[in-house]
Amino acid sequence: MSASQSVFAGWMEIAPGAVRDQTRQHDQQAALAALVDEYASTLYRVAFSVLRNTADAEDAVQEAFLRVLRHRDTLDEVRDHRVWLIRIVWNIVLDRKRRAKTRPETDDIADLARVLPAVGLSAEQRAAAQQHHTRVLTCVEQLPDKEREVMLLSAFEELSSVEIAEVLGLTESSVRSRLFRARNLLADLLGHARGVK
Amino acid sequence: MNQPTPIQSDLARAEQTLRLLAAMPAPEGLEARMHAALKAAPAHGNVLAWPTAGGQMRSWIRGAAVAAIVGVIAGGSWGVYSRVQPAEPQRAVEMPRVTGSGSFSNAGAMRTPQTLDAPLAPPADAAQPSASDQAKPQPAAKTTAHATAAKHKHAQTR
Repeated sequence: MSASQSVFAGWMEIAPGAVRDQTRQHDQQAALAALVDEYASTLYRVAFSVLRNTADAEDAVQEAFLRVLRHRDTLDEVRDHRVWLIRIVWNIVLDRKRRAKTRPETDDIADLARVLPAVGLSAEQRAAAQQHHTRVLTCVEQLPDKEREVMLLSAFEELSSVEIAEVLGLTESSVRSRLFRARNLLADLLGHARGVK
Repeated sequence: MNQPTPIQSDLARAEQTLRLLAAMPAPEGLEARMHAALKAAPAHGNVLAWPTAGGQMRSWIRGAAVAAIVGVIAGGSWGVYSRVQPAEPQRAVEMPRVTGSGSFSNAGAMRTPQTLDAPLAPPADAAQPSASDQAKPQPAAKTTAHATAAKHKHAQTR
């Protein structure tokens, strides 16, 4: 075999490193698929709590997983995949909400109050529950951004205050103080709304 | 046992609403759609491995390739450098005429001197003093000047 033939044979062969890469890629894809199966619905609920639109929330979840796909090499370094994914989707939804701020909030809130589950209630009770939900969500919208974000995340039972702090990039004590402030403000707003009513 | 105040019960009900919102079920088939989206997403570009393993590519080939690349780049650069001559700077630069700020330009018009009638000299016969002019008394300054000159002349002769 001449020198040139041996050189070209080198290009044609599948190097052992390439086989290793393929195996690694396969493992990463499997890990990503497992993440989708395990956390897609959690991420959807987080996205929906902010965006309040089914299609937008699903888009946000998809974008989050596509970001993970792009940075799949760093998957091994992540300590808590759940919190990491929630943080990714949280940043995406906040960014989307900031961009879509021109849309009137009141329509969204009325739609959402209609969507919230009201199982086992009579028509009258359902109407009253819708009114209540609308009032609460309107008051939540009036909270300052920082307090509202903590309040929304605290509603997720699977998230502890430490995990909320990780998602928001804060300390746990900051989360607790913000939550305290948010509750006080919300109570004031609700009391004011009741007085007006 | 303490009864919750209306505000506390309001707050509890509000948190219940937020919990309902947080517990909204995901739409059916969400995971399948995510899997499909991830499969459709473009993967990283596959790059051919540099076949150094096994020693098929000898170092002299690599060196020759490097030398050829360097030669091509240097030759091209020299070719460009030798063809492109720097343009000579202009010796003189005609500056635009600047008129006084806030005034109109003269639009290239030449200034024309005043063409009105010049003052005329008196006629020649007016130079001869007439009898009436001689009868007129001389001005005082002229008389004193004559007197001073006569005094000087008298002193010199003495």
